[in-house]
Order: sequence, then structure tokens, then C-alpha cells
Amino acid sequence: MTFAAPASAPTSATAAAPVSATPGVWPRLDRVLMSAGAWMLGLLWIAPLLYAAWTAFHPSAYETRFDLLAPLSLENFPLAWKQAPFARYFLNTVILVTSILSVQLVVGTLAAFAFARLRFAGRGILFGLVLVQMMVMPDILLVENYRTMRMLGLVDTIAAIGLPYMASGFGIFLLRQTFMTIPRELDEAARIEGVSLLGLIWRVYVPLAKPTYLAFGLVSVSAHWNDFIWPLIVTNSVSSRPLTVGLSIFASPDSGVQWSVINAATLMTSAPLLIGFLLFQRQFVQSFMRAGIK
Amino acid sequence: MADLTLDGVRKSFGETPVLQALDLAVPDGGFCVVVGPSGCGKSTLLRLVAGLETADAGRILIGGRDVTRLPPKARSAAMVFQNYALLPHLSVARNIAFGMEIRGTPRADIAARVADTARILRLEAQLDRKPRQLSGGQRQRVAMGRAIVRDPQVFLFDEPLSNLDAQLRAEMRAEIKALHARLGATALYVTHDQIEAMTMGDILVVLNGGRVEQIGPPEEIYRRPASTFVARFIGAPPMNLIPSTTAGSLAAGAPARGETLGIRPEHLKLAPGAGVEATARRIEPHGADTFIQATTAEGVDLTIRLPAGNGVRAGDQLPLLAPPAHLHHFGADGRRIA
Ligand SMILES: Nc1ncnc2c1ncn2[C@@H]1O[C@H](COP(=O)(O)OP(=O)(O)OP(=O)(O)O)[C@@H](O)[C@H]1O
Ligand SMILES: [Mg+2]
Repeated sequence: MTFAAPASAPTSATAAAPVSATPGVWPRLDRVLMSAGAWMLGLLWIAPLLYAAWTAFHPSAYETRFDLLAPLSLENFPLAWKQAPFARYFLNTVILVTSILSVQLVVGTLAAFAFARLRFAGRGILFGLVLVQMMVMPDILLVENYRTMRMLGLVDTIAAIGLPYMASGFGIFLLRQTFMTIPRELDEAARIEGVSLLGLIWRVYVPLAKPTYLAFGLVSVSAHWNDFIWPLIVTNSVSSRPLTVGLSIFASPDSGVQWSVINAATLMTSAPLLIGFLLFQRQFVQSFMRAGIK
Repeated sequence: MADLTLDGVRKSFGETPVLQALDLAVPDGGFCVVVGPSGCGKSTLLRLVAGLETADAGRILIGGRDVTRLPPKARSAAMVFQNYALLPHLSVARNIAFGMEIRGTPRADIAARVADTARILRLEAQLDRKPRQLSGGQRQRVAMGRAIVRDPQVFLFDEPLSNLDAQLRAEMRAEIKALHARLGATALYVTHDQIEAMTMGDILVVLNGGRVEQIGPPEEIYRRPASTFVARFIGAPPMNLIPSTTAGSLAAGAPARGETLGIRPEHLKLAPGAGVEATARRIEPHGADTFIQATTAEGVDLTIRLPAGNGVRAGDQLPLLAPPAHLHHFGADGRRIA
């Protein structure tokens, strides 16, 4: 933007130059402040990650000392890997997020289709209940969920971590909204060809909602990969603990492990998500735009 | 073989009746065009035949078989939708093959049928494209391809050409007619386009508010409209309808009958020394013909259709005469009298 911002200076051309200089400054200053603010927020957000990366890749002597010429080192990673059963934690987390996501997708698709396109008694009330699930903070239900898992005899299993999240109100809502935008003509054309109800969902609705599935998948995987409180409460052995809980036990002050090793472990546990996101960044952003999540 | 019969078919949505006791018979291989104003129930009629809606009363027969309660796939009716209804994530070939894939047709058969259809519809070069990479006319042909691979007994078309421009529409009209002649299946074709209505069908059905106003061959309907509604709806520009009391000497020589006189714009004659005087208000050149809007001394508005080069200008006084042979007479209820 130049000084002669025309909108704010509707004076004649000759007289305008000195006069319009003053109002013209404001939009510029505005932009400068805006980008400065954005950068500040960005830096603030990424600082812990940068610190973790710094310490993880340097010997422990540089934990609190910044020196550009400090020698790089990879030895923190094998150290961390050896000191706790991270392989098992990884496996647990992968089993956890994939089972949650796959059940969420199946349940969500069927429920969303029913809410979007079928007519049945109590549809409005049931959908209202689904929306209520989105309003309730999961943390409020910790105690109740724990009691349920105990009743089912599932405490300290991976299933117990996942079960409360498998019917996702958010997923149902999101898919229903997407399904409702699909033209009825497509649905009818397929029905004239003789497609069954499940075939209709599989061949028409699911492929057309692909961006929504991708966006929801990312939200779900990252949420459950990083979930901490509930798994902490419901698990107490290596065989069921996910990465987050394992990492927190590994990093607790009384374990006496060095920061550089802890940070190496932290990077390791979040790396798959980060790498995955960077690889598919473009598709994800497009999906979010199309699915209307921002 | 596969004639289509509707026998007292009724349909309402909630309280509103949409179709009221509809009777219709299309012979095997016939091409029946249904016209009517927006909201008169044309699409509903098609959807009832396709099985996407169920009739409240009456029977629908395809080839003598009662299909009233059968699901869509058991009816042997294929439908071409106004917005094509192609699946955007599938290629042209897979869109055409969609129904066969569902029915579990062997792969080799599918490939052969798709190739055949593509050849008939001149889509061979587009088989691997997605619908969004096609022009409107090509999409329309894919939609027809999906209908003809099924080899149905009845084709249903719901305003299939309304999204195309005028020139393409003319081409596709001819193409659909040619295809129909070649396949010989019975067709039910919904439109609100005058030209399609007049040129495409062997049988024309004029619907109004869920009721049949008239059924017959197009020329017959044009020549002898059964009601003032049909008289105004079929033909462009529409027929002039004049209350008998204000006709004056326009129809001099014809016996006065009924409440309303009708005369088509092309049948009004300039007859110096006879008929009524009317003032030309607007001249609308249409190439070969010119439409003239005129008002008589009685305040009656008339449209006259004259060959181009007639020399009439706005403001001219025109002596207008309606020859008795071309007059239509309608009663107080709007129905034709004799
Ligand atoms: N599913 C439905 N529920 C309620 N009313 C409906 C439904 N489908 C159609 N209608 C009503 O039935 C009437 C006829 O609709 P229809 O679609 O058959 O009209 P149409 O003749 O095809 O009109 P157009 O030329 O605009 O396509 C309309 O008044 C419409 O509002
Ligand atoms: Mg319609």
C-alpha cells in the first residue's frame, strides 16, 4: 500500500499529496502491527518446540546454554528409547487411535446418513442428544466413565481408553451436514439403478464426503494421540499405557532423567503426527476448507 | 410389449393434492411429452412412474405389469435427470457402468456395453474423463448413456435440455428423437419448452394444477385446444382470447357462441374496410415474422403475427379481421364449445 491511499483522501489531485500523507500512514502501521503480532504469537507458540529440538539434538551440557557452535549430537534418542518401553507405548497409541477412528467412521457414517436422509420417529430428539454430546466437556465425565469401565471389567485396557470416544457427536454432526449438501438427484439416480441402502452410502455418500472424512480423521487422530488425563486415570500398566502417559512417567521429576533425553523422547513421540501433517499439509488444509472446519 | 398406462393415479404431499386422478396411456414405442406450468406436478408424475414416490391411489402399468408398489429397480424404467445426476468422482465409463456394476454384470459384458453405448452417443474420446471435465451437452449424453445401457422398457426424461443453450438444445432434440427411433422404447418426456412439446412427441399431455387439460397429438392440440388454458399455453405468441362482448366486428360473419373468442396471432388478417380498427403499439421483429401488439377501440389487446416486410409502424391504424374458419369458441367454464 502506498501513501496515496485513495479511499481516505477524496481531495483534488494537486492539493492531495501533502494532505493525504497523514491518513495514508494508518493502514500501513496497521499492517505492520498486525504482522508483528502474528509473528509474536507464532514464535510464542513454537518456542517450546524449538527448545525441545535444541536440547534433543545437543549434549546435555547445552540444556540451558545457547551456543550456535554447540556440537550436534544424536545420542539422546537411543538413550531415551532404551530407558522406557517406548516401542510398546507406540504400539498402544497406534492401536488406540486407529481403533477409535475406525469405529468413529463406521458409527458416524451410519448415524449421519440416518439423520440426513432417513425419516424415523424421534429423529429430532436423537439428533438433539448428539448435539448435547458436543456441548459436554469430556473431563466432566471422568469419574462416571471410570465407574462404567470398572463395571465392564475393562480398567487398564486399551479398549477402556477408546470406548468413551467411539461414538463421536462431532463426527456425526459434521458428516450429517456434508451428506445433506449432496444433491438428492444423485441419490435417486443410484436408487433407480437398484442400489441397496448400504450400497448407496458406500458408493455415493462416502466418496462425495471424502474431504470431510480426511478433516475429521486428522482432528480425531491428533486429539486421541495427544489425550492425556483419561488414559492416565484408566491405565496403570505398560501393556495398555499410551505414549502420552508413558512419556509423563518417564519425565516425572523423581525419575532423574536429563532434560535433553526427555526432550528427545518428546520429539520422538510427536514426530509421527508432525511428519504426517507436513506430508499431507496441502490435502488437509483443502479438506478443512471444504469441510468448513477452521 | 411395453406400453405405459396410468390409471386414476393420485398423489398428495401432506394436505396438498399434487396429482388428481390422472389417466394416461402411452402405446409401446410411443413418445409422450408432458407440458405444464411450473409446479403442476410434472416431475411428480415421472417420479411416480420411476418408483421414487408411491402413488396414494390408482395403478401404474408397464407392459401390462402392475408396478404401482414395486421398488424402482424392479420397474425397468430409466430416468434422465435435469441436472444429469452424474457421480462426480467416477469417470464417464464408470458412470455409464454404474448400474451394471451394482447388478453384478460380468466385467467383460460391462466393457462391451459401455463401448457400444459410447459409440452410439459419440463419447468414445471422453470415457476416461470426470463429469466436471465435460461440456453440458456431453454430460447430458452421459446421463442418457447410463439410461440406455440398462435397456429399459420405459425412458423417463425430466426437462433434460433445460440447462443447455438454444443451439445445443436443438441438436440434442434431434439426437434424442433419433435415439428413440433406434431403440424403440416407450418414452415419457417432461418439459416446459414449447418447441420441445410441439416437435418431439407423438402424444402431448397438457397438465394444469395436477389435472390433465388435454391429451392428443401436438397438431391436434394446436388446432383444437380443449380449453382457454391450453389455448394460451401451447403456441407462441399465445392465442388472443377476447370476451365475446367486446369483440365488436372483429369476428364479423361468425355466429356468436360462448363467452370467449380465440384467434391465433397468425390468423388475424389485415382487411381494409372490414373488421375493427386497432392501433399498433409495439412492433417486435423476429426474423421471418413480425409480432405486432395492437389495441382496439374497445380496449382489447391483440397480438398479430405478420410476415416480415409488412411496413406496419407503431401508431398505425390496422383494420383487423378474424376469419370465421380460424375462430375458437370457449364457454364460461373455459372449455371449448364444439
Ligand atoms: N417431496 C415433496 N414434499 C412436498 N411437496 C412437494 C414435494 N415434491 C413436490 N412437491 C410439491 O408438488 C408440486 C408439484 O411439484 P413438481 O416437482 O411435480 O412440479 P413440476 O411440474 O415438476 O414443476 P417444475 O416445472 O418447476 O419442475 C409443487 O407444488 C411442489 O411444491
Ligand atoms: Mg420438475
